[in-house]
Amino acid sequence: MRRFIFALLLCLPGVAALAATPPQPGAKDRCAVCGMFVAPFPQWTAVLALKDGRLFYFDGPKDLFIGVLDTANQLPGVSPEQIAGVYVTEYYGTRLLPATEVIFVTGSDVRGPMGQELVPVLGREAAETFRRDHAGKKLMRFDGRQLVEITGQP
Amino acid sequence: MRRFKILEYALASLLRRPVKTAAILVVYTLMIVVLATVLLLTHALKTEAVNLLADGPELVVQRTMAGRHELVPVAAAQTVAAIPGVSAATPRVWGYYYDSLTGANYTLLGVDAAEPSLELLAGRLPQGDGECAIGAGVAAVRKVAVNDDLILIDANNIGAIFTVTGIFRAESRLLTEDLLVMPMAPLRRFFGMPAELATDLAVSVRNPSEVDTVANKVKRALPDSRPITRKELLRTYHAVFDWRGGMLLALFASALLAFCIMAWDKATGLSAGERREIGILKAVGWDTADVLLLKAWEGLAVSLLAFLLGFALAFGLVFWWGAPLLGVVLRGWSVLFPELRPTPYVDLYQVATLAFLTIVPYVASTVIPAWRAATTDPDEVMRQ
Repeated sequence: MRRFIFALLLCLPGVAALAATPPQPGAKDRCAVCGMFVAPFPQWTAVLALKDGRLFYFDGPKDLFIGVLDTANQLPGVSPEQIAGVYVTEYYGTRLLPATEVIFVTGSDVRGPMGQELVPVLGREAAETFRRDHAGKKLMRFDGRQLVEITGQP
Repeated sequence: MRRFKILEYALASLLRRPVKTAAILVVYTLMIVVLATVLLLTHALKTEAVNLLADGPELVVQRTMAGRHELVPVAAAQTVAAIPGVSAATPRVWGYYYDSLTGANYTLLGVDAAEPSLELLAGRLPQGDGECAIGAGVAAVRKVAVNDDLILIDANNIGAIFTVTGIFRAESRLLTEDLLVMPMAPLRRFFGMPAELATDLAVSVRNPSEVDTVANKVKRALPDSRPITRKELLRTYHAVFDWRGGMLLALFASALLAFCIMAWDKATGLSAGERREIGILKAVGWDTADVLLLKAWEGLAVSLLAFLLGFALAFGLVFWWGAPLLGVVLRGWSVLFPELRPTPYVDLYQVATLAFLTIVPYVASTVIPAWRAATTDPDEVMRQ
């Protein structure tokens, strides 16, 4: 038991580092996929954090997933195992949240810097509201490896 | 080298006719001053409005009844705050007060203890009953300083005494000039406003792309409300200042016309002396191109000098002396005028427009008649 707690304590700093929300992008940071500057679109910023502390910024969840789901082609030198955290800016609150916690709404009339977007919304109810308000089509979830459609009524 | 000789000759020939050159310079400069003042001032006022509204709420919700502004129930704030995307909905208490003593209108604003946007204050914000903070304009017109008493007549026609705890010294006085700030509760009592009502709701929305949707939802949830977004306010300000600037420009169009007539006069009729001069220059071996260059230099020298002088004067008038004449017309019609000290800024696009509209026609109107004189036979020109 004591050994287990000791092991847990050892893990804590690592957990804290993983849980910390990455900083907002600087004026010079560019989207790792399309190369556009990220800072002018604070309500769309998405971040990929690697275990070695490196950060990749994206100007929207769409470009983030283009990068994350196809690291071999889009982010040379990054393998899926190195990923420590994936963050997106939640639509209503404009705060960075882990991509696994939010629901992505597709096909809506809200345009990001790169056109159509997967809009991240926190909570099923808010996601349904957003889908209704902005003519969204599908609700998706990110399970850490890929995007999965949410079906069925809440 | 030859070009500079021609420039030298052009300047000398301008100086040989000092009265004529000076007359053109004065008229030209005056016109530039007027046009540039209107342009600079309109632009400065628009920038001020944008700066002011940048700190304001994204959305203001008013209530209307029979098409008129009505007090909004404080409880409506909860309805608005429940809309997804709204981070805060705060009831505001504010209104106007006509001071018969000075004939001025004040804006009275209720603040809670923490008001972030009103930090530029000498003294401190009012905390309890019978305390207030005032704008520099109110302080000047009522001749009060910090810790003095200010007597106002409340809704029951009874004099209320307020101690001035602070005077606003905002860099941009457009905002605080006629302002009088006190806590919410005493202000409600002063206005005779019930505690469950407020003037309007200030709504902050985190995501700018969601503001319009929130405004629609407010309209649906509270059918008697009128949501006004910051974008709409900005557009209105722009329209108002553009309209006033346009009116002024229309008035001064006559001045522009007079200038055009002067330029036209110069263009169509070269004086006999000038024609003879061109003839002699041609006779002693000048090319037509040289004569044209000479005339272009003359026009440019006069134009540039007048333009720079006029623009510098307009700049000083607007940004240092607060636009003494035109400012009154452009700002609005009010008794307590904020002293205008806009942030100096020159829009290169405006400068280019103004330069193009004045320098090019003037230079053209000096070169074209010279070209006509220069292409005819010098012997014929001198004989006339």
